Amino acid sequence: MVDHLPNLGREQEMLEAMGLSSIDDLFCDIPEGVRRNEPLDLPDPQTEEEILREAQFLLGINVPLNSRPSFLGAGLYSNFVPTMVAMLATRGEFLTAYTPYQPEVSQGMLQALWEFQTMVSELVGLPVSNVSMYDGSTAAAEALTCAIRVHGKKATQPKTVYVSELVPPHRLSVMENYTQGAGIKINKISHDKNGYLDMEAAAKAAGSCAVYVEMPNVMGILDEGLAGLKKVIGQDTALIVGVQPTCLGIIEAPGNWGADIVVGEGQPFGIGPTAGGPIYGLFACSDAYLRQMPGRIVGKTRDSSGKPAFCLTLSTREQHIRRQLATSNICSNETLIALMGAMHMAMLGPQGLADLAVRNAAACESVKRALAPIAGISFVHDASHYNEFAIRIPGTAADCLTHLDEEWDLTGGFDLGEWFDGMDDCLLVCATDQIDGEDIDELASGLASWCKEVGA
Amino acid sequence: MSDLFAFNGSPSAGYAQPAPLLSADEVSKVIPNSLKRAALPAWPCASEPELVRHYTWLSTRSFGIDTGFYPLGSCTMKHNPRLNERIVLMPGMNDIHPLAPEHHIQGLMAIFYEMQEMLAHCAGMDAVTLQPVAGAQGEFAAMRCIQEYHKQNGEANRNKVIVPDSAHGTNPASATMCGYSIIEIPSGDDGCLDLDALRAVVGKDTAAMMITNPNTLGIFEPEISEAAKIVHNAGGQMYYDGANFNAILGKTSPGLMGFDAVHYNLHKTFSQPHGGGGPGSGPIGVKSHLADFLPAPMVEAIEDDDDGEGAVRFAWFNPSKTIGKVQQWHGNSAAVVRSWAFYRRYGRELEKMSEHAVLNANYLRYRIMNPSSEQAANIHAMPVDGAPAKVVKHEFTLSMSPIKEATGVTGKDIAKRLLDYGYMAPTLYFPMIVPECLMFEPTETESKEAIDAFADDFLAILAEDAEIVTSAPHETPVGRVDEVWAARNLILRHPGNKEK
Repeated sequence: MVDHLPNLGREQEMLEAMGLSSIDDLFCDIPEGVRRNEPLDLPDPQTEEEILREAQFLLGINVPLNSRPSFLGAGLYSNFVPTMVAMLATRGEFLTAYTPYQPEVSQGMLQALWEFQTMVSELVGLPVSNVSMYDGSTAAAEALTCAIRVHGKKATQPKTVYVSELVPPHRLSVMENYTQGAGIKINKISHDKNGYLDMEAAAKAAGSCAVYVEMPNVMGILDEGLAGLKKVIGQDTALIVGVQPTCLGIIEAPGNWGADIVVGEGQPFGIGPTAGGPIYGLFACSDAYLRQMPGRIVGKTRDSSGKPAFCLTLSTREQHIRRQLATSNICSNETLIALMGAMHMAMLGPQGLADLAVRNAAACESVKRALAPIAGISFVHDASHYNEFAIRIPGTAADCLTHLDEEWDLTGGFDLGEWFDGMDDCLLVCATDQIDGEDIDELASGLASWCKEVGA
Repeated sequence: MSDLFAFNGSPSAGYAQPAPLLSADEVSKVIPNSLKRAALPAWPCASEPELVRHYTWLSTRSFGIDTGFYPLGSCTMKHNPRLNERIVLMPGMNDIHPLAPEHHIQGLMAIFYEMQEMLAHCAGMDAVTLQPVAGAQGEFAAMRCIQEYHKQNGEANRNKVIVPDSAHGTNPASATMCGYSIIEIPSGDDGCLDLDALRAVVGKDTAAMMITNPNTLGIFEPEISEAAKIVHNAGGQMYYDGANFNAILGKTSPGLMGFDAVHYNLHKTFSQPHGGGGPGSGPIGVKSHLADFLPAPMVEAIEDDDDGEGAVRFAWFNPSKTIGKVQQWHGNSAAVVRSWAFYRRYGRELEKMSEHAVLNANYLRYRIMNPSSEQAANIHAMPVDGAPAKVVKHEFTLSMSPIKEATGVTGKDIAKRLLDYGYMAPTLYFPMIVPECLMFEPTETESKEAIDAFADDFLAILAEDAEIVTSAPHETPVGRVDEVWAARNLILRHPGNKEK
């Protein structure tokens, strides 16, 4: 039975008050020709209990990452999220609010988002953050269009941006969709055999509108060269850095080595991988990009009596005011997940962030050490890694993953052949803070057994 | 005032975590020296009890549907069942990786498939993708599909998109992001599409028209079929902005009206909580001629004949001419699952949801516009309808121009005064074609008593001294907020925890 309708059974009373006689009268304005005449062909209504039972069954047959040793990352990471986060974020005043258009009754949400902006700003070393993009890929894509708006007029390579060739294809596809309308050309910058950005190739980007690189990159590589990239491309080309934000507990904030815009998947702060969404994209920038940036921004101000207060600001960039002249079409964003991220960051504090980064790096390094002695396995890149790294194995990555899944009950990583040519025999292995010594032993044994099986 | 950055616990303590697998010193050896972080961010140093109190305090200074009546027009602020939150916190949702092998996520994919089918059925479309994560992104993705469709037909020169002047701002913004130029057409005096204005602008350069129906005045476009014919005859596509789908579910459909593509707002019609500004979810549905262009991947059901029991397994597939991706993963999966739990509550009776949304909107409009003689005697000036109509759909607009002329009280003043009475304000100054506009959408989950009380309070405000209303709000945590000062001074972050 439909039980969310307080006026069920009272329709007639309300209709009569209005001088109407039936529900049909309320729909008399729909022309005959477009009326639906058959009832919806959908299942019977269910009760809360029945739906819960079915959800428990359907979601129960999925295999969660933490139900077994799992080494799958590739852009989303299974970090532990403090219990407080979901408990507080689902308070109804947060969960069931909409965009704080009426600041007088939305001070709490606005302040929480302003605090989020502050913590992101501190984390990445840039003065301004918005309150979230949809995900890391749309943040990266809109960073490119933002840079075009800022540098397009003076650039010697107008309407041109350069991105690392190691940007995963799904993220690149989002970038292409977002930039094609503005006629933007995306050039690639190559990497050397160890996965480091080719700085000579990068130098060609000078005079274009933007360069997009990642720290760590998709292969988990911490590329020292990026710290000198801004000097190579110059002041008139935006340096956009995509980050895995937890690494910034040990890695210098990109804003301190020349980044103009920092974007990334905020997900490890605040929420599990959630099958890819809702998560949230980080977007922070220097002052020069502020008026061209997408998304909502909260500012501190004062009320009619001079008391401190908060409100949305710089709205004249946005679609509901500027329509086709807006910097972006973004309206609904991922505010609640950003709030969860803020709660997680606040809980960690500076030292907790450092500890988390060390745990991730330590897990990654421990797996590398455990796999190094296995005959048949080699590291694709001789480099420093955070969270994940690529290995070459005998046979195909797809068959190897099936072996690990079926014989060893573990999720061994990601088949890089799905993303990059010539990597059908490469696995991307990820270790987060959720990986322990036993998990690593299992993976090492499983991979050793695979190598033996295929006779390497 | 609780200041997150004023908590001053020991910065070395931090949140206790299990020991790392290698010591910090050992980790330090494998991190390149030149990349090592010199100083940690000036984040707060607070304990769990302090943080719980901080965020609880902040929540008490926020306003959701749970707090009170939230008649924010075009946003469909309906009740959010807590069952749905319980479901998405299960590990089988929260701890699922989108790149997991298909056989690890068959339950999730079953829900995806059912949602694709359900949404297609309700809108009269042939194919649905769940990938776009907000209504605006749905618009963008669908317009990209239309763009590629025209290119395929050798008509890449179709570079204009028509929108009525009452359209949501996202429509022209989304089309512009695809590279289209916008033609805005004026609405008629009745607030509806002016077919002559439409005929005057369609042509060989028309890519599409974007429109919502009922329109943003809450009025069902009587000549929608004729409009579709005009656009189609010119070779353009019809795009349905599904923001107002809550009004018509089960009564008609975009397919019946002649649309080629549509987005759904799962956070409006299907109760994904709005979360203070998101997340949303904006799946798109299309007719078959656009289906091959949809973002990848989508879910298909494959019958496994091996066991002879007709078992079905679910698989990802990429449409043959897909535009690729608009979000890196599979969209806002947990929003899809919440919406699945929501729709199952109604099932084939989803039509009742729309009936009650429309019943409540008409009842509220009637109550406001028909005050008792006692109420009427005190009112300075009654509002007027944004557009004349016998019935409205799920929302309606009122112009506060008469009271502004009579006493100087503006629509914004009334919106602020409603906050004092414990209500969220209606949508303010939109659509722009209605002067001093307030736009009301009560949704189906408000009781008659709640609507009666709101109408009485609204009428009471119309009778109040102008000075009380123009200086409102008085009862809120802060007084009227100075948005101009915020934009001039741009204080966009806290100085940070300098005690660290």
